[in-house]
Amino acid sequence: MTQFFQQLINGISIGSVYALMAVGYSLVYSIMNFSNFAHGGVIMFGAYFGFFFLTLLRFPFPLAFLSAAICSAILALIIERVAYKPLRERKAPFLYFIISAMGASIFLENLVIAIPAIGPTFRTYPEIFNKQPIKIGELAMGKLDIAMFLISAICLIVLIYIIDHTKIGKAIQATSYNIKASALMGVNTDFILVTIFLMGGFLAGIAGVLFGMKYTVYPQIGIITNKSFIAAVFGGLGSLPGAVIGSVLLGIIETFTAGYFSSQYRDLIAFVLLITVLVVRPMGLMGKVTEDKA
Amino acid sequence: MGNEYILGIFTLAGINLMTVLGLSLLTGFTGLFSFGHAGFMAIGGYATALMTLNFHWPFIPSLMVGGLAAALVSAVLGKVTLKLKGDYFCIATLGFGEAVRLILDNVQTFGGARGWPGIPHYTNFWNVLGINIVAIIILANLIHSRHGRNMIAVREEELASQIVGINVFKYKMISLVISAAYAGIAGGMMGHYMTFLQPKMFSLVKSTELTIIVIFGGLGSISGSVLGALVLTSLPEILRAFSSWRLVFYGLAVIFIMISRPEGLMGGYELTPSSMKRLYRNIVSKRSKAVHSAGGDK
Amino acid sequence: MGILELHGLTKTFGGLTAVGDVNFNVEKDSISGLIGPNGAGKTTIFNLITGVYKVTSGKIIFDGKDITNKEPYLIAESGITRTFQNIRLFKKLTVYENVLTACHYNANYSIFDSVLRLPKFRKQEKKLTEQAAELIEIMGLESRKDLIANNLPYGLQRRLEIARALALMPKLLLLDEPAAGMNPDETEQLMKLISEIRKRFNLTILIIEHHMDLIMGICENIMVLNFGCKLAEGTPTDVQNDKSVIEAYLGVE
Ligand SMILES: Nc1ncnc2c1ncn2[C@@H]1O[C@H](COP(=O)(O)OP(=O)(O)OP(=O)(O)O)[C@@H](O)[C@H]1O
Ligand SMILES: [Mg+2]
Repeated sequence: MTQFFQQLINGISIGSVYALMAVGYSLVYSIMNFSNFAHGGVIMFGAYFGFFFLTLLRFPFPLAFLSAAICSAILALIIERVAYKPLRERKAPFLYFIISAMGASIFLENLVIAIPAIGPTFRTYPEIFNKQPIKIGELAMGKLDIAMFLISAICLIVLIYIIDHTKIGKAIQATSYNIKASALMGVNTDFILVTIFLMGGFLAGIAGVLFGMKYTVYPQIGIITNKSFIAAVFGGLGSLPGAVIGSVLLGIIETFTAGYFSSQYRDLIAFVLLITVLVVRPMGLMGKVTEDKA
Repeated sequence: MGNEYILGIFTLAGINLMTVLGLSLLTGFTGLFSFGHAGFMAIGGYATALMTLNFHWPFIPSLMVGGLAAALVSAVLGKVTLKLKGDYFCIATLGFGEAVRLILDNVQTFGGARGWPGIPHYTNFWNVLGINIVAIIILANLIHSRHGRNMIAVREEELASQIVGINVFKYKMISLVISAAYAGIAGGMMGHYMTFLQPKMFSLVKSTELTIIVIFGGLGSISGSVLGALVLTSLPEILRAFSSWRLVFYGLAVIFIMISRPEGLMGGYELTPSSMKRLYRNIVSKRSKAVHSAGGDK
Repeated sequence: MGILELHGLTKTFGGLTAVGDVNFNVEKDSISGLIGPNGAGKTTIFNLITGVYKVTSGKIIFDGKDITNKEPYLIAESGITRTFQNIRLFKKLTVYENVLTACHYNANYSIFDSVLRLPKFRKQEKKLTEQAAELIEIMGLESRKDLIANNLPYGLQRRLEIARALALMPKLLLLDEPAAGMNPDETEQLMKLISEIRKRFNLTILIIEHHMDLIMGICENIMVLNFGCKLAEGTPTDVQNDKSVIEAYLGVE
């Protein structure tokens, strides 16, 4: 039983970081209806930003954290301007967006490898939270795991508050419901997109730093970010609560697979889950079903 | 730069081309996008190697088995995912491709992640050339028939296709299965060229690269796919001197293609003797009448 | 007993009842009209008949067979086809290719026949090309046969859609606002064309239209729809004199 709860806690902690990543995919999808695979690259850059702010510039942790998030937000916005905006203006089909996103993702990943100062090596974050776990009865919780959970939870709550209760949030919702109509109603859709990419990028930066602290930083963390994308699909692409729930569930399922079967299958289970979800309930857990107008 | 080296590049380009031809049918002519065809290559590659190594079959029949294996798997995948709309089919193929790679990583029978060495070197420039010529003829004949027209109709307007009695699901399925068979054969050729197989040869990046070649060549153009495969396979090889920066430029180039010439090299047109003649005539008449753009642009 | 019978046909989208309990018969070889204000549910009825939308409740009988909720391509196969209110051509194909594609029904050579270019392929393909050419001629599109469909003038695009539908040799043709965006002259021509093709192809036709001249001029039987429900039905004169119709619809016009 202890093992069960221990796994559950670990799963939720990982899942909450997935959630930070997944909402980025969902935000973009909800407005632009395509899977922004460059988001993974932004997350990776976030991890590197954090690492270099801490080690090279010796920023204190909160400042490094914030700077990494801001830099990632700017990076996400640059990608939007360079790789998507021209397509948007041309009303290109969604596929061109996906390919362009893939191009951006290939670019980012290899840029890191190609720059001699970074290179393909694994980098370990300096220790911020000591390894001494906090014990509650039989359960041991790493300080880092707790921090990961708390920081993610706070970010997500703020995000959902912004979406539900602020003017800009309402505009985002209206745009995601119907981009053409809201443009006609006077919503500045370009501004909405800027906001979306900044928010997604900001969260990506935070997720990157958390991820880097937990594991290490290396150019191919795309495998992990792909899993957060799967979580977004699992929850229902375009739905924020869906992305969060999907991520936490994926985190739990993964840790249980690793704990009770074999850690070898941890990555595989995500993809099997993806296909299963698409077959059984393609709109995901929280996605909406629509009948196309003809 | 000897002959060997150049033939080697062409052989690699030919292996890529085989998958690209299949993808051209799926993407260029049927309008479905896949990010999992490296998975079909892997299935074909391992199945072919199994036939030549364990059952000592000759190369060509083994390749057929590789193609068939990939086709069978694609039929199952298609059955469950082809009803999905737009983006979701794409995502499903992505999941499929990654799942294949991870399964091969974990199945120790074929060497797991370390790979499967000792595969005989059967693939050479000439058999690659021969197989590609046959593949192109099959594809061209298929496209210029009612079946091909039905696929193009599905690409253009699914609902209207249904209304004129085209079984959209069936034609998507045929297209997927043929493209997977091509990819499977390509995978077989690849294993018997490199003389080893490793799951990481069939990553998501490989799948993406293949789809990019099809788009680069121009959707709906077989000759475009051929050109695309030749250019985009040889270019990185030639740029190998720049090693790590190569893929950086590649990524940039992809974005640049998408935002600047999304219709690809050929823009849906074919390079055939008759189209060359037409282009020539257009240019001549353009000179005389000075009307707007010729040949390639409509 | 009509060639097409709608029994208690109902379609809801979430809370909205787009079509509510509609009963209607289309007589064989007739031209019938379907009219009603915007959003009355006319196009939805076409979408239900052709299997594009799933029926919420009710039944659709065609030629004595139940076709409710069948796949659209099977419904097309059984002899119903249509045009769309918002034209849906194979945009990037030529006029000729649009029609030729739809002719596919009149051939049955297999994939192997086409890959190997067997005699069966050649013979049937020749037949298809002839058929397509003939249809294009009948519809007066011959001079534009190599134009890309998307570049055709609007009126001709509607015409091409009809040509493409006829390639299936349907028994029942559904036309969704065929005269939309046409001037009176073109509308007049279209009316003639519709009567002509009906005779020539032995068709039963059901038309949705807002042009009252057209509807009243060629339809033998008209159903009026309002808020998804049938308001009236009968000959043009019946409908024109119907009080509720005048109130709900004609009065407003
Ligand atoms: N796919 C759909 N999802 C939700 N609502 C729909 C859908 N299709 C149609 N409707 C609704 O059903 C109602 C009837 O629409 P329909 O298109 O059938 O009207 P119509 O009579 O053809 O009008 P018009 O003359 O403007 O073409 C409308 O309120 C429309 O908004
Ligand atoms: Mg309508």
